[in-house]
Amino acid sequence: MADRSVKILVVDDFATMRKVVRNLLKQGGYDDIVEAEDGAMAFKTLKSQKIDVVVSDWNMPNMSGLELLKAVRADAELAKTPFLMVTAEALQDNVVAAVKAGVNNYIVKPFTAEVLNEKIKKLVEGLDK
Amino acid sequence: MNYDAMLSLLDELAQEYLFLDCKNIDIPTAGKLLNNLESIINESQKIKTPQLNSCGMGLSQILEKIILDMIKDKNQAADLLEEGIRLMQQIADSFKNTGKYDGSIQEFMGKLVAITGVAISGSDSSVAAESAETNVTEVKEEPLQVQDESLMRDFIAEGLEYIEEIEVNILNLENEPENKEYINTIFRPFHSIKGVASFLNLEKIRSLAHSLENLLDKARNGEISVTAPLIDVVLDGSDALKTLIGQLRDTLEGKKVDESALDIPALKTRITRIEQGFDSDMGDKKVGEILVDEGIISKDKLDEALQINKGTPDKKIGQTLIEEGIVKPKQVSQALRKQVEQVTDLTTIRVDTTKLDDLIDMVGELVITQSMIQQDLKNQLNPDKQLTRDISQFFRITSTLQQVSMTLRMIPIKQTFQRMSRLVRDLAKNAGKNISVELIGEDTEIDRNMVDEIYNPLVHMIRNSVDHGLESPEDRIQLGKSEKGLIQLKAYHRGGNVVIEITDDGKGLDKNKILQKALKNGMISSAEGLTDSEIYKFIFLPGLSTAEKVTDVSGRGVGMDVVRRAVEKLRGKIEIESTVGVGTTFITRFPLTLAIIDGMIVKVGTESYILPTLSIRQALRPSQEAYTNIVGRGEMLDAMGRLMPLIRLYEIFNIEPRHREPWDGIVVVVDSESGSKCLLVDKIIGKAEVVVKSLGEGLKSIKGVAGGAILGDGRIGLIIDIEGLFELSEGR
Repeated sequence: MADRSVKILVVDDFATMRKVVRNLLKQGGYDDIVEAEDGAMAFKTLKSQKIDVVVSDWNMPNMSGLELLKAVRADAELAKTPFLMVTAEALQDNVVAAVKAGVNNYIVKPFTAEVLNEKIKKLVEGLDK
Repeated sequence: MNYDAMLSLLDELAQEYLFLDCKNIDIPTAGKLLNNLESIINESQKIKTPQLNSCGMGLSQILEKIILDMIKDKNQAADLLEEGIRLMQQIADSFKNTGKYDGSIQEFMGKLVAITGVAISGSDSSVAAESAETNVTEVKEEPLQVQDESLMRDFIAEGLEYIEEIEVNILNLENEPENKEYINTIFRPFHSIKGVASFLNLEKIRSLAHSLENLLDKARNGEISVTAPLIDVVLDGSDALKTLIGQLRDTLEGKKVDESALDIPALKTRITRIEQGFDSDMGDKKVGEILVDEGIISKDKLDEALQINKGTPDKKIGQTLIEEGIVKPKQVSQALRKQVEQVTDLTTIRVDTTKLDDLIDMVGELVITQSMIQQDLKNQLNPDKQLTRDISQFFRITSTLQQVSMTLRMIPIKQTFQRMSRLVRDLAKNAGKNISVELIGEDTEIDRNMVDEIYNPLVHMIRNSVDHGLESPEDRIQLGKSEKGLIQLKAYHRGGNVVIEITDDGKGLDKNKILQKALKNGMISSAEGLTDSEIYKFIFLPGLSTAEKVTDVSGRGVGMDVVRRAVEKLRGKIEIESTVGVGTTFITRFPLTLAIIDGMIVKVGTESYILPTLSIRQALRPSQEAYTNIVGRGEMLDAMGRLMPLIRLYEIFNIEPRHREPWDGIVVVVDSESGSKCLLVDKIIGKAEVVVKSLGEGLKSIKGVAGGAILGDGRIGLIIDIEGLFELSEGR
């Protein structure tokens, strides 16, 4: 469990999906959550407040998950932000593209609360180092 | 070659590798390694060292598989990575020092294949991607049970919203099938619905959304093209999803749900067929259905036979029908042949319309040439009998050929109608009305070019009907009509034209309101002597809208005049029939094709001109008294009880006529948007259908001339553009 407040940004264009992720994260004890509905909004949020971990969908209008990841990594301030990519299928090309762009981890839909929180926990631990 | 750059890249790779723990892989480190390997692969291409290239690709492959968690023996994979890096360093060293490498990488590559199951050849990773997909199902965790009701409700609301978005976007896609962005906007909602459905354990919804998503993905990647059947199946698919989500809602609310109405497997079969590139989703018609369609047996008889057949599943329906004495064996075999034909129907090819146009053009030339040969032959004193016979045979073939080539461009109006009914559905929802659509004569054929052109005017008229024509459900009930309004779309051929009627059973046009408005706008000075149809026509004038409130669909007073202009541009005509309280019908007439014009050939001096028949009101020889020259307004003729400007065609085109005065020649009254005028010509030759030919790039925008045509005698006639001619005559 997180012993200090970890702020997680959940990015997905489908509001129900954001709620699903929010519920799953709650089971892992993470309840400081902000949402964004596409990459562009997410980037704005990232620039305006301190976010500890980004959980982003891959396929979104305006700015896709990959584009958001690249923008985050290219931004001096945000470059180190842990980034978890959510993909629908572990399509090798997608995952590899995300890995090359510097994603910290990826997770395949549908996933359990356990797996999600395990991955988040690792990212958070990395923060403390 | 310089291997220093390569060696330093390899050093970097080796250092980075030290941080990698293959058993518990750290993705960011793996990402760095992948990027390193990519630079190495690029560099190896630059310095043309295939051994390094192959090794680099091989290592990338293993690493990717490790990241994707597709390799069981992680220790072995780690060993291989290390071995590969060492091997590459050796190769690069050897090349740097001796300019060659004597060892072999075969053994190493063999081990790679053994562990990844993929042979590395070139940079193609598609095979790998495929195997990745199949393996993934194994590593997928069990989906969790989320029985959160509020989540379900969110999903229902948002899902339905998304599906509506799909329906709107698919209309756009139909207009621009090549537009990838449109495919994307349709793909995404299915994708999202699938994602959430998988969390909520909604297997039916998930799998249907998944099929549709796959189909669209293929369309997006250009593997299959966006065809009408594809669009149909996507629409049907989204309807089915809507129903499924609706059922979900009903279940939540404790209502009983009838699940039998939906045939999801059949829908999925259709999706698969289209995915496999079948251009049509028909062809599954049963022999019995064909027999019914052909009118050989009745539906009841078929059901009877099917009942008998139930006991013996192996038996074919045709066999039973014959044994029962309902049909003759020959009829069954014909139906069977039809069934096969349906399948062969699937093999259609797409042809660029410009190629078709060229073909039709050439056929036209052929027809003209052959009639010239025929003429030449007639002019001979002693025509060869055999040759004459052959030529007339030739004549039959060419005229059939011409007919066939014209039909190549014809397509059924079905697709346009279906889009319309979809539109009605959407519009009705926005307007809070309940409307059903009836389609009649969907198989009526029309030129491909016309289909796109008539779409917008038709949409406008339909919007008008939905918005202003039909009453609200409450009003309808009060009026004693059924709550559900009806819009009927009807198409048929009449006298070389295609007629499209749009009928609503709404309140009809309010004559008095139109008259008041027309009087107010100064369009007329009194209502006297106007027939109903003349009054109705006022709604086609700009600035006249009888709608009291402006909605988001229509009623801004710009609608119907735009419709009329669009229809007339296509050489079509529009009429209205309306009865108060019963409904309104818009009747539009379009030529079957824009390639052929129905015209009147007139002569001025030695020149022939073609006037579009649709613009001709009357032809007459006026008396000398009918002629007046009014100062400031020019020459006028009293025709059809009105004074109309006179245009002397010979003056406009500057040629020598046979008759200089109207009372010697013939005057043709022609209509255009801006009114009627009289054209003075020498004589009328007759009516003819001519193939419109463009005058070529250089003469494209000549005012008053719409094109040229080759006439029956082989001479050329110019097709008059009435509107342009009027402008010329006014010195505009």
